[in-house]
Amino acid sequence: MSGLLAFGRFEVGRLLRSWKFLAITVGFPVVFYMLFLHDQRPGTIVDGAVPWRVYLMVSMSSFGALVAALNAGGSRLSTEKASGWARQLRVTPIPAWSYVGTKVTATMVVVFPVIVLVELVGMAFGGVRLGAGTWIELTVLMWVTALPFAALGVFVGFIVNAETAYPVMTALMFILGYFGGLFNPVGHMSHALQVAARVLPSFHHASLGLALIDGKGFGVQHALVLAAYAVVLSLAIIWKHRVEESRGVA
Amino acid sequence: MVGARESLPAPAARATAPPAILSALGSGCSGDPALRFEGVVRRYGQHVALDHLNLEVARGETVALLGPNGAGKSTTISLLLGLLRPHAGCVEVLGTSPRRAVAQGRVGAMLQTGSGSGLPPGVKVASALHLVRRLYRHPAPFEATVERAGIGELLGRQTHRLSGGQAQRVRFAVAIAGDPELVFLDEPTAAMDVESRRSFWRMMRQFGEEGRTIVFATHHLQEADQIADRVVVVNRGQVVANGPGATLKAAVASRQVRFVTGRPDEQLLDQLEGVTDVALRGTCVTLNSLDADATIRALVHRGVAFSDLEVTGAGLEEAFVALTECDRVPDKRRAP
Repeated sequence: MSGLLAFGRFEVGRLLRSWKFLAITVGFPVVFYMLFLHDQRPGTIVDGAVPWRVYLMVSMSSFGALVAALNAGGSRLSTEKASGWARQLRVTPIPAWSYVGTKVTATMVVVFPVIVLVELVGMAFGGVRLGAGTWIELTVLMWVTALPFAALGVFVGFIVNAETAYPVMTALMFILGYFGGLFNPVGHMSHALQVAARVLPSFHHASLGLALIDGKGFGVQHALVLAAYAVVLSLAIIWKHRVEESRGVA
Repeated sequence: MVGARESLPAPAARATAPPAILSALGSGCSGDPALRFEGVVRRYGQHVALDHLNLEVARGETVALLGPNGAGKSTTISLLLGLLRPHAGCVEVLGTSPRRAVAQGRVGAMLQTGSGSGLPPGVKVASALHLVRRLYRHPAPFEATVERAGIGELLGRQTHRLSGGQAQRVRFAVAIAGDPELVFLDEPTAAMDVESRRSFWRMMRQFGEEGRTIVFATHHLQEADQIADRVVVVNRGQVVANGPGATLKAAVASRQVRFVTGRPDEQLLDQLEGVTDVALRGTCVTLNSLDADATIRALVHRGVAFSDLEVTGAGLEEAFVALTECDRVPDKRRAP
């Protein structure tokens, strides 16, 4: 157990000490928030429900969670496979699943401050005002439901190699971010794109947060889609892990 | 090194038949071996990597797995570490399953990593080593590991900025950080130059002298011979030869000195320097010698009258190649 804790601390510490990682995961959502905050006229209401500055805060914390997850899991995992480190860990006393398990956990740990930070920026620069209870609910909800992003990052890290990891992650960031309606509300999109958005976990992640602020309460259907994504991706990771294990490569 | 082992019984090497090398050590006499491999089969699709391989290593032994690329050395090590499961046969490590032995922290390993460093990217050597130590319940002291692997000056370096030889040393430190009883090294000196190779083996030998069991794979005959107590030659997934380096050398690497002499004195010939075997056919003498030059000098010195002198036999490398090219040679072991 103490071995697992040490490994977890090592992983989180490694992420937080990496300037590249911090610049991308913290920089992107915060800079985008500041850039797009005044993109719309003050008082613009998104999808007939929430003000633009609130929508942007929620969607950027979604985006931040997504970027953190893809960078923490994905590209790092593929480099570690290439270096032989992942295999070396297999011949230490920690159990075989702990490599993947720790990756997902460490990702979730670094996603939390990213969400909080974007909320602070929304509060300070966007003038977003919510009740204390809503802030807490929103933060916890956005964080817990970021699990499918963490699983996605780890799964993709498993199936791509070190060379293709970067382009694949960038493509995923773009597809999930843009088509998931994180930069441009889904209501502003064509019908076809609106339908497409409903397939993506990023849409449901942001929608869950917006529904909470909007007073619609807990968006059950959004939560169910996210849970389904988390389950499917976790199964995919387990399957991939088994395959690699039987070949002796992971 | 050879000199110390010349007293061991040398096998009768036949010119035509592939040499049968004896196993003088670790041939099943110890009650509690460090590892045991029995009839192990491992396939990759259609390709049979290990074909009913048998192997036993006693505690405290240093054993080399010698063989050409693709012989099954890495597969053997992967099975011993529980990274792969056998399709048939049984694998036992330190009296238990490989996975349990690894989980108990009693095994260390230096795996082949291709072009990778085998280390976590983006951290300093010291923090990687600290982490690995914490994964074990009873690790070796940090300073001792650092000193033993000779990586004191590398601790502050980033793992991805190490040269091949430096990374290899750090990986050795990682392998021994948990104070293991048994260490597996898969081609440990692959990325090293001659000097680092030498110091690496010096380190290794010290480590082995503390009563630990070491199994390493190599395709350098010289390395296997100089470092290991016993050399196991693997080819096409089977053990083709198994014995102390000197015995192996005697069987595969000796030269034949042939000549004709009037009245051959078998006893005298047998005592000539370098001679491991004497064969007489009338006046025609065939000597197997580890050192043909010394044998001939001794012949002259002892005043043996000879004619039609002929020295044949392959060099070390060629003999090894000949040995591993023989298709499906059974593992002939003589019980002690």
